[in-house]
Amino acid sequence: MPRLFSRRGFLLTGAALGGTAFVAAVGGVGYLATVDVDGLDGHLDGDRANLNAFVIIHEDGRVVVNVPRTEMGQGIHTGLAIVVAEELDIPFDDRISVEFPTDGHAAYSSWFNALQVRPEEAGGPVVWLARRALGRMEFIATGASGSTMGMWHPMRVAGAAARQMLIAAAAARMGAPVAELTTGDGFVHHNATGRSIAYGELAREAAVLPPPDTPVLKSAAQWRLIGRSQPRVDIPAKVRGAAVFGMDVVLPDMLHASIRQAPVFGAQISSIRNEREVRAEPGVVDVSIIDGRHAAVVADSWWQAEQAAWLLDIEWTATEADGVDNDSLSVRLHEALSLDAPHGHIDDGDVVSALSDPQSAVVEADYSVPFVTHACMEPMNATAILRDGRVAEVWAPSQNRVTMQAAVGRGMGWAGIRPRDVILHVMMTGGAFGRRSDQDVIAQAAYLAARHPGRAVKLLWSREEDISRGLYRSQAAARLRAALGPDGLPVAYDALVATQSVFSAMGSRNMPFTPSPDGDYLSVEGLDKLHYAIPNRRMRSQHIPSHMPVHFWRSNGFSFNTFFTESFIDECALAAQMDPLAYRRVLLRDSPRHLAVLDRVADMAGWGTPMAPGHGRGIAIEECYRSVVAQVAEVTVADDGEITVDRVFCAIDAGLVINPDAVIAQMEGGIIFGMTAALMSTITLENGSVVETNFHDFPMLRLADAPEIEVALVDSGQPPGGAGEPGVVPIAGAIGNAVFAATGRRIRALPMATTETTGERRTRSVLRPGAA
Amino acid sequence: MVAFTVNGAPVEIDGQDNKPLLWVLREDLGILGPKYGCGVAQCGACRVLIDGASVPSCQAFTGDLGGAEIVTVEGLAEADGRLSAVQQAWVDEQVPQCGFCQPGFIIAATALLAEIPRPTDEQIDDAITNICRCGTYPRIRRAIHRAAGVLATQG
Repeated sequence: MPRLFSRRGFLLTGAALGGTAFVAAVGGVGYLATVDVDGLDGHLDGDRANLNAFVIIHEDGRVVVNVPRTEMGQGIHTGLAIVVAEELDIPFDDRISVEFPTDGHAAYSSWFNALQVRPEEAGGPVVWLARRALGRMEFIATGASGSTMGMWHPMRVAGAAARQMLIAAAAARMGAPVAELTTGDGFVHHNATGRSIAYGELAREAAVLPPPDTPVLKSAAQWRLIGRSQPRVDIPAKVRGAAVFGMDVVLPDMLHASIRQAPVFGAQISSIRNEREVRAEPGVVDVSIIDGRHAAVVADSWWQAEQAAWLLDIEWTATEADGVDNDSLSVRLHEALSLDAPHGHIDDGDVVSALSDPQSAVVEADYSVPFVTHACMEPMNATAILRDGRVAEVWAPSQNRVTMQAAVGRGMGWAGIRPRDVILHVMMTGGAFGRRSDQDVIAQAAYLAARHPGRAVKLLWSREEDISRGLYRSQAAARLRAALGPDGLPVAYDALVATQSVFSAMGSRNMPFTPSPDGDYLSVEGLDKLHYAIPNRRMRSQHIPSHMPVHFWRSNGFSFNTFFTESFIDECALAAQMDPLAYRRVLLRDSPRHLAVLDRVADMAGWGTPMAPGHGRGIAIEECYRSVVAQVAEVTVADDGEITVDRVFCAIDAGLVINPDAVIAQMEGGIIFGMTAALMSTITLENGSVVETNFHDFPMLRLADAPEIEVALVDSGQPPGGAGEPGVVPIAGAIGNAVFAATGRRIRALPMATTETTGERRTRSVLRPGAA
Repeated sequence: MVAFTVNGAPVEIDGQDNKPLLWVLREDLGILGPKYGCGVAQCGACRVLIDGASVPSCQAFTGDLGGAEIVTVEGLAEADGRLSAVQQAWVDEQVPQCGFCQPGFIIAATALLAEIPRPTDEQIDDAITNICRCGTYPRIRRAIHRAAGVLATQG
């Protein structure tokens, strides 16, 4: 399989996967060129005065905020525009718009994600060097719930710097001392003379002034916008149908492409038996094989390309995975829990002795979840063009410029083209959930563009390709054990998870080497339960390789481990004959931040008030992405097993919240996303291929089945935490625990229900006998 | 040749009788509000009004549309740009997240309120069967009730 990896491409993809150690290695090879890390120098660009890398002011006073993070529904464009507007001292109204900048300026780097160092706390030569390296690589990524944590401080600084430059420009014009000038409503005021000058009038003069060395930030007491819900900047266009998603990119003389990928991942194309006939179909311009493994039809319209693609008669090579089906995968999964030599992550105290102590009551349970997929509402797509044989330009919904750029090089490399320049446009993104940090579709589109130089090619996957030929959250199983002391509390906790390493799989697809799966923290996040006071603790993982391309999926390891562990804690509480809330309260005695969130959600839900037979309440809590989130689910289980989630209460301590309504929306959406996985989602394999193809057999929760949701934000005085993923994390455990409360049936496998069709696009969920 | 109107403008489509309306709108007419999400009438992202009824346009064939009045999400606002009551309710309740599916929901809600001015929750459950992967359903329900209230006071 020909794969071209330029040195640059290697570093770029590596950056997505590596942490500090990797960056230090890059620094060590002396690859760095000088980069402006802070990026605060202003300049003029037509009628736009760029006061720095983030703030652009037009003469008419309109302000454009550069937000180098993908808007995929989480509201990040609004949140980061708010912090700029706050420091710039302007109202948050329709004079503010947001753009995703096309240049990969070092100031846009997602170095918080790689280094896990808050910008407001960062310092020292290692961080400085790492920032330079990541900036040079254009490591600009949106994920791990990290955009607010990583950018809220740098963008406040940018807003404050711009304001000070505007004041300096006004001081020069007015001949007044800076100290006598104030700002408000988009003007600089000189109260002594009553003069005011609008920002738009000052912007060109301000942009060429030197930026202040240390911009002065507002104190929290001076905030007018941060912490108060503001309307989202992207919503007006979205309700008019005017937002331009990747799928909506239209370029002159554009070609359209459809694709057929291998039914068994890893298979190659031996031949297309009817290529000549397909080429003769209406509108068809080209039939090609991408990288030996995908068949693409290029036509004048996507409808024609897709119709022709249905006719393709493709012979695929046999693979070692052709015999894999759900039963064999499941056997491998559960056997992995008994394999020798799992990778050790935590070994505190003496777990083995505690578990074998005859005084201990041992609780043990195995849990599992299947493969699931993202099913973003906007199917995978990318538009690419190769100009003058050397300039590649790409428009796509994407979470990661690094892998995007690498994918353009990879895809064009398949056609023997090495573009000298790559221009990237990150479009409005119709859902992402981790899926769009892998750029398979961009590499494919780049290849097709290289085959048709000078013409834009838009490649759009059908929904069938997305569901059955896409990327997946891994299956996982865990064996959890606890030794309970005489008071019923755990003396020892022993956790073993078996799953497929995401970093390892992603690396094998995107890098010239495969990172070791053993240290993959995504496999074990949500498993350690460090906030629970337990004296002896062991945490281990077993990597299960498979042919399935596993990938990031909203909340990754938390999406299964928190279901496992929070169900298990309820099992321990049962063994201890204690109420699940009371049990957790004791275990959280040393974690006041968690306890506050737990108590809040219990209050909201009226924990302890009686419920009718067939109804139950379940609770779960997790610390994730520097936030603490707890949920209580109320369910009804009918005699025939039909399960309805009636209400969900959610409390989150996400630290300082910039835009409260956006965090509430993320909790609502995360709960529903997690409910779909808990109740409905499974990817089934037969003969190595995914069986599910579309929403009729990979169903989604719909409006009729959505619970009432109540969200409370708990303020602990911490700096901002993540909000995009935490909402997903506790819900499966909370529902499973509620089912137990309602029925006495313990759910140990997801999905917990089968989806039955009751009418046109109406379904009901019925608990699976096998789930318990 | 088939003639119909889209958002009030007359259009004529030739030789594409078997092409779904969705792709005629997106590729031939450049109307991009209706989205492709599944192609099998499951998700509703492509919904448009055909003679007032909410229909998944991926399953409406152009040859059947002679004389039809088709309205897409782009056609809901007033001529002066003012949002329709449903669109405004979507803004007021801050419904969209990624927003990709919302044109279909807005169309479905518009058709519902035309038929049932003050729908109950059950009627909303029955009528609004689109898919939103971001999980905006609670806000969609609130927005429909809000729009119903606004329309009622407008008489």
